[in-house]
Amino acid sequence: MASRALLRQCAIGINENNLGWSRLFSNKSIEVEKKPAVRKNFQEAGLSEEETEYLEALKNPITVTDENVGYVSGVPEEHIKTRRVRIYQPAKSAMQSGTNNIQFWQMDFDTRERWENPLMGWTSSGDPMSNIQVNFATKEEAIAHCKKMGWEYYVQKPNLNQPKPRSYGINFSWNKRTRVSTK
Amino acid sequence: MLRVPVVRATGLINGRLCAVSLHTTSNKSQQELVELFIDDKPVQVPPGTTVLQAAAKVGIEIPRFCYHERLAVAGNCRMCLVEIEKQVKPVAACAMPVMKGWKVKTNSDLTRKAREGVMEFLLVNHPLDCPICDQGGECDLQDQSMAFGSDRSRFVDINYSGKRAVEDKDIGPLIKTVMTRCIHCTRCIRFASEIAGIDDLGTTGRGNDMQVGTYVEKMFLSELSGNIIDLCPVGALTSKPYAFVARPWETRRTDSIDVHDAVGSNIVVSHRTGEVLRILPRVNEEVNEEWLSDKARFSYDGLKRQRLITPMMKINGQLQAVDWEDALVAAARSIANVSANKCAAIAGKLADAEALIAMKDLVNKLGSESLATEQRFPNDGSGIDLRSSYLLNNTIAAIEDADVVVLIGTNPRYEAPLVNTRLRKGYLHGEQTIALIGPDVDLTYEHEHLGESFDVITKLRNDSHPFSATLKEAKKPLVILGVDQLTRKDGAKILYETQALAKALGDNSKAPQDWKILNILHTNASQVAALDVGYSSTVEEIKEQQPNVLFLLGADDANIKKEDFPNTFIIYIGSHGDVGAAIADVILAGAAYTEKVASYVNTEGRSQQTCAAITPPGLARPDWKIIRALSEMAGITLPYDNLNEIRFRLEEVAPHLVRYGNVEPANFFTQAFEIAKQQSGESFLPDPVDIKHKTLDQFFMTDVVSRASLTMAKCIQAVIKQRQSAV
Repeated sequence: MASRALLRQCAIGINENNLGWSRLFSNKSIEVEKKPAVRKNFQEAGLSEEETEYLEALKNPITVTDENVGYVSGVPEEHIKTRRVRIYQPAKSAMQSGTNNIQFWQMDFDTRERWENPLMGWTSSGDPMSNIQVNFATKEEAIAHCKKMGWEYYVQKPNLNQPKPRSYGINFSWNKRTRVSTK
Repeated sequence: MLRVPVVRATGLINGRLCAVSLHTTSNKSQQELVELFIDDKPVQVPPGTTVLQAAAKVGIEIPRFCYHERLAVAGNCRMCLVEIEKQVKPVAACAMPVMKGWKVKTNSDLTRKAREGVMEFLLVNHPLDCPICDQGGECDLQDQSMAFGSDRSRFVDINYSGKRAVEDKDIGPLIKTVMTRCIHCTRCIRFASEIAGIDDLGTTGRGNDMQVGTYVEKMFLSELSGNIIDLCPVGALTSKPYAFVARPWETRRTDSIDVHDAVGSNIVVSHRTGEVLRILPRVNEEVNEEWLSDKARFSYDGLKRQRLITPMMKINGQLQAVDWEDALVAAARSIANVSANKCAAIAGKLADAEALIAMKDLVNKLGSESLATEQRFPNDGSGIDLRSSYLLNNTIAAIEDADVVVLIGTNPRYEAPLVNTRLRKGYLHGEQTIALIGPDVDLTYEHEHLGESFDVITKLRNDSHPFSATLKEAKKPLVILGVDQLTRKDGAKILYETQALAKALGDNSKAPQDWKILNILHTNASQVAALDVGYSSTVEEIKEQQPNVLFLLGADDANIKKEDFPNTFIIYIGSHGDVGAAIADVILAGAAYTEKVASYVNTEGRSQQTCAAITPPGLARPDWKIIRALSEMAGITLPYDNLNEIRFRLEEVAPHLVRYGNVEPANFFTQAFEIAKQQSGESFLPDPVDIKHKTLDQFFMTDVVSRASLTMAKCIQAVIKQRQSAV
């Protein structure tokens, strides 16, 4: 709703060549000076006082004090308030040596019920978030995203890898237990 | 929001902690760093680092087949050949230590040509099996031939007359071998001899006739054998139970924690259509590195068998399936007017911290303190009051740094295979001396056997044992006591003597301040959490107490019999129909560890949480929710409605239980020792030290999940058969 109202506001702004609309798109919310009441057009003439006030309010930039995007994002409230988000670094697949697909942070949601669909035997779920995995460059970005969306999150401790220098020579050292007998 | 390309472009790729750690060297060693250039990117590494590791530091991955971070460098696949400026030939990056000022080119024409050549040779004898190969989709050879192989083939043998064919080996019920696919990277051989400590695998023949195998046909008798499936870069070694089950891209992966032993190995559960298809290890340097024991990896089929899928009630002496409402009402009626101190609970091996705290709150509200774990922990002496007397205080990762280790009444090889790999690592790379008190078992490394009597502990302390001298000299001594010994009648005395030994060593040695000598090795995943929460009673005490109502929270110990509780109403909450469910009057069907979000504390006191991969089968529900529902039915509603609230409660009781991933160190060793001193007067029982798991076949079935597993049953059969044929 809010986004549609914003669009409408833009359209009106463009139509009337209003100065205010350009402010709408600036990042900083600027204090908008009270404008003198404009002449009502025909459409607005039939509206009640409350509705007129509402429409008037829409003409000014909407200032959101706390950056909670969740409620205007269209995500149902249930999936904002009751979900737990896990922020983690994907683990390297044990089966392969490649590491190119693990160099980022990811978030996903807690698992909800899934069941086997009797029609095809596929897995069904009533959970719209069940397939959502969002990738981030850093942990902080992921946290900021979750905060913005109003999700409760926790950060899974990443694995701390401390590679030790390896040497080919220890295979043949005569006085160490690392000497290799099998080949 | 995928920012991967951006990350690479900004060089943030090194933001992975591994690279950071290489940077964090002291000023002194920074002067000793060698600078070289990989693809014109400067990198500084300590001398002795290989080219491959240096390249990894700047985020350049050199393809490899034989090189593995945790195995010895073999340098035989030649896939990691790179060009180095002013060198005539390409060099194997995995084995070549860096030199100052080298300019390594990982993507030059020469490098590419070398790789293409290697790839061509590998593919000459590799079958075109990919469509029917289980490794398909997660195969290093597949990926690297796409990325680094030539774009056209010179292979002209369209009749396939000349491809090498090798007979498949039978190395047991867990590993399927298709040896024609083998590219001779020798990773499995190195794993077997270095990590598993079993020199069974090796090569025969040379050149085109080279074969990897066991020389004579025999089972790969290791508790860690499944890891060679992961290590194999091709499909030569694949999982037998998982054969032809699924492709990696069609499964969903959930990170979780293993509960078959008290190590708390990190795992990834692969699942599809509400079924666990396989379990893989997840790298956690502090716990399991990247290995996993066979029990944890292969017992997942036990999650589908013997399950309690509906609540049950004993009607006319027989257990019958009922609705949740009926079962809960029956259970609630039994506890509604139970008199104080006539209610008790016994927690089993696989109970999670949430269920444990809910159970404790419920029993406490009913006016009782009788909460026990099925494995007895002595509550006399310092008991469970101070955590230091029941934790593996020195952490699993630090075991490999010790120089002298005394194992008392434990066989880490089967009680905690991943602790044993640390010991073996310390033995191989750190020249560790290991001594064992207890039955002389094969630990996969050489050790001194000090005897089978507990008196040895006292002798070691009094310097009246030949080994005392070695122990006294130790810079970082470690005493590891098997928790099974504490279930004996003289458990408190054993604990006291071990504490005294650790104290004496601590006073003598020059060990660093934070080095902790006293370590208890647990076997049950639930035990540490239960002791942390305050399960202070024992099964024996509950037997004496004869409660009117007894809760079994997944307790399936054979020690708990109906004859001991003739007039007790037994309520079983758990996932599998085993010994505990058989004696119950009401069964409330719980969830297994793959089906719930739950906290487990491992033997070092590290709290970790599982994630729900699949939904509990049938009407089964997560355990703590059942207890919560029951409390409401009984009119004593527990004050938590969701996971967060019960975790707040956990935090109230013991904050470290919700600090996931971190070890909460325990201190107060001196105080614990002072309290334990009251045990000093007693003497040991005459029975010698005994351990439960002496041979491999005793390792496979230890809990309800593994007991219900067909794969584990096959393993036991195979081990017994192997043993008989060897005689």
